[in-house]
Amino acid sequence: MRGEKQYSENRRQSTILFLIAAAVILAAVTVSGILLEERGMETDFSRTNLIPSVQYLFGTDWMGRDMLARTLAGLSLSIRIGLLTAVVSAGTALVLGTAAAVLGKKADAVISWCIDLVMGIPHILLVMLISIACGRGFAGVVAGVSLSHWPSLARVIRGEVLQLKSAPYILAAEKLGVSRFDIIRRHMAPHILPQFLTGMILLFPHAILHEASVTFLGFGLSSEQPAIGVILSESMRYLTTGKWWLALFPGLALVLTVILFAMLGERLRRLLDPASAHE
Amino acid sequence: MKKRLTAFLLTATMAAVLAAGCRSGGTPGQAAQEQAEKEKDSVVIAMGPTSEPEAGFDPAYGWGAGEHVHEPLIQSTLTVTNTDLTIGYDLATGCTVSEDGLTWTVTIRDDVSFTDGEPLTAEDVAFTYNTVKEASSVNDFTMLDSAEAAGDTTVVFHMNRPFSIWPYTMAVVGIVPEHAYDSGTYGSNPIGSGRYILKQWDRGQQVILEANPDYYGEAPKMQRVTILFMEEDAAFLAAQAGEVDLAYTSATYSDQTIDGCSLASYASVDNRGFNLPAVPAGTDAEGRTAGNDFTADVLVRRAINIGVDRQEMIDNVLNGYGTPAYSICDQMPWYNEASEVEYDPEGAAELLDEAGWKMGEGGVREKDGAKAELNLLYSAGDSVRQALAADFADQLGELGISCTVEGVGWDTAYDRALSDPLIWGWGAHTPMELYNIYHTDGDTGSARYSPYSNETVDAYMDEALAVSGLEESYELWQKAQWDGTAGVTQEGDVPWVWLVNIDHLYWVRDGLQVAEQKIHPHGHGWSVVNNVDQWAWS
Repeated sequence: MRGEKQYSENRRQSTILFLIAAAVILAAVTVSGILLEERGMETDFSRTNLIPSVQYLFGTDWMGRDMLARTLAGLSLSIRIGLLTAVVSAGTALVLGTAAAVLGKKADAVISWCIDLVMGIPHILLVMLISIACGRGFAGVVAGVSLSHWPSLARVIRGEVLQLKSAPYILAAEKLGVSRFDIIRRHMAPHILPQFLTGMILLFPHAILHEASVTFLGFGLSSEQPAIGVILSESMRYLTTGKWWLALFPGLALVLTVILFAMLGERLRRLLDPASAHE
Repeated sequence: MKKRLTAFLLTATMAAVLAAGCRSGGTPGQAAQEQAEKEKDSVVIAMGPTSEPEAGFDPAYGWGAGEHVHEPLIQSTLTVTNTDLTIGYDLATGCTVSEDGLTWTVTIRDDVSFTDGEPLTAEDVAFTYNTVKEASSVNDFTMLDSAEAAGDTTVVFHMNRPFSIWPYTMAVVGIVPEHAYDSGTYGSNPIGSGRYILKQWDRGQQVILEANPDYYGEAPKMQRVTILFMEEDAAFLAAQAGEVDLAYTSATYSDQTIDGCSLASYASVDNRGFNLPAVPAGTDAEGRTAGNDFTADVLVRRAINIGVDRQEMIDNVLNGYGTPAYSICDQMPWYNEASEVEYDPEGAAELLDEAGWKMGEGGVREKDGAKAELNLLYSAGDSVRQALAADFADQLGELGISCTVEGVGWDTAYDRALSDPLIWGWGAHTPMELYNIYHTDGDTGSARYSPYSNETVDAYMDEALAVSGLEESYELWQKAQWDGTAGVTQEGDVPWVWLVNIDHLYWVRDGLQVAEQKIHPHGHGWSVVNNVDQWAWS
């Protein structure tokens, strides 16, 4: 018995440590990116196409821009867009999911139809269409990603709320005369919150990847902005001439960031989910 | 999620391996050399995907004409432009214009047939011109009223207004057969009387041309011309693999070497330059935002024109493959050499001081509390224009003008350019381009692409179109640029600042003798094959 207890404490502690570390790394990237944005856009034709060195860890590109600064600025921009879009999507999902569950059959039918509609169109296509319609750029990408990523979470929340509504303890509370508001606050919210939070964090990697891909394809952020998608699509032109560092480091950095977010969400889920919280 | 991650990783790895592999390639070029020994009279050429004519090989829908002019190859034209950009004859044997400039009479050869065996007559010529006037969306034919045949070998053009440079228009209109022309199918199945016959066209991939055995002129030396449409990196790899004999490329690749190929650079009038809105900010006749308070001051525009080091730009961005540009028509017969300016940063600083823009804090000039700022636009996705814009911004920064650079799509660029400088590319084998850029457009009170208007400049160009002789008109086009007191050059209004002419670069297989090229116009495509019939293998 003692050994098992030890184990569970360790798991919980290490998870929390990991969460803190990941959050610190991501925050550091975000902040340093904001500070380095100027430097990342600075062109200097006296230092074009340098391979990675101590002075320029990630090398420089064909306009003499420091790729380390550009990569960090790009990641930072991606994370900020991810943050914004994940919050907007998750908010939309919460409102619509709850509305579908509590506002009656007609509202449920309409909202479920919307969910099916949005899920039926390939994500990347929808993001592109919305982004173009909103005039591309920052606004276009944010609108595109946030308007296309809410359905799956909305569906989860709708299911949870529906299930909760007929749960014995809620029914009992109702019979005991507890007010609707109190039921939501004291009985429903604590149950929905973990689902919602993990859902929101797991939206990040999706949002970041979709932002990068739609920009890569030329329907997102403008080409002078230091975005990872822009960096990768530009580097494609130079791969055939052997300038590997233009794609490799920014690509790896994007992958690492996305993995970090995915792991963050997964660990958080384990921590919050009653089924696995005490493993 | 996981799949996507793996895909990203794999792509990165693959790309790196690919790049490394290419550099250590074995003996590329061998295949093509062996092939070349077998067939000494064929050539394979790689062009960019945008060079593929969307509507096919129909002169009425842009083949040979439009933004990127070149000889139509499959069809004959009445006139041609010589290597010095004066006018020569193809089908025509003589060309006269009436005193009032409203009637052009052109006599044509009587020994020409289409490739289906039917003779080419003046009726076909008249039919062609009446058709392109109705259908052409890429060329302006409003000056033409109608064309009619007077006998088998004489065509008469009735004009709506005098148009002295009509021979330049005649040089890009391919003659189609009246008896075999259907606007629906002609584009993919063209019949002409030119040097080549369209043998095969695989959309999105390639065009195969074969020499016309009954051609009336000198028989083509190249019997078979294959044109592949591919992206720049694919063209580079194809040249490396020995699959093509001539491949377009850009300065990005100019520091590379390919075994069995050399880099050929052809001079061009394919210029890049910024428009500088010449009126204060406001709205134009159509209610669009137009004008820029900073560039509205002619002293500022002059300072920019002499304050930019064009050679540095060429060395930095074009790896040396370019020439400084001082006008839209450098080296053309209608170019005025007064356009040329010396790089003079001190002079530029003096002009800015004189205009009231004094050096302020942080190296940015100020006047009455306003900062000297410009937002430079470039078409997103064009890396050369982006780099030129960035270099231009750096150079203006040294003068004390703070610049931001913004990429825009062509859907909004035209309207945005009315108030912010945009980097453009021009350069054509006709003086009409001067008119399009600088002449007041209709009754809008402003030129078409950038707010600017000068009555004196307008008058010279109107006169140039009205005179009867080409020589005479060249002189007037030159005066429109600078007549000693007014114009669009440094001492004049400078509504545009021209930066560089971009040399057109090609990988050329050893042994391929590319015939002498005319100065290439804007567009890095078909103009290189204008004289492919005279190319040879040695």
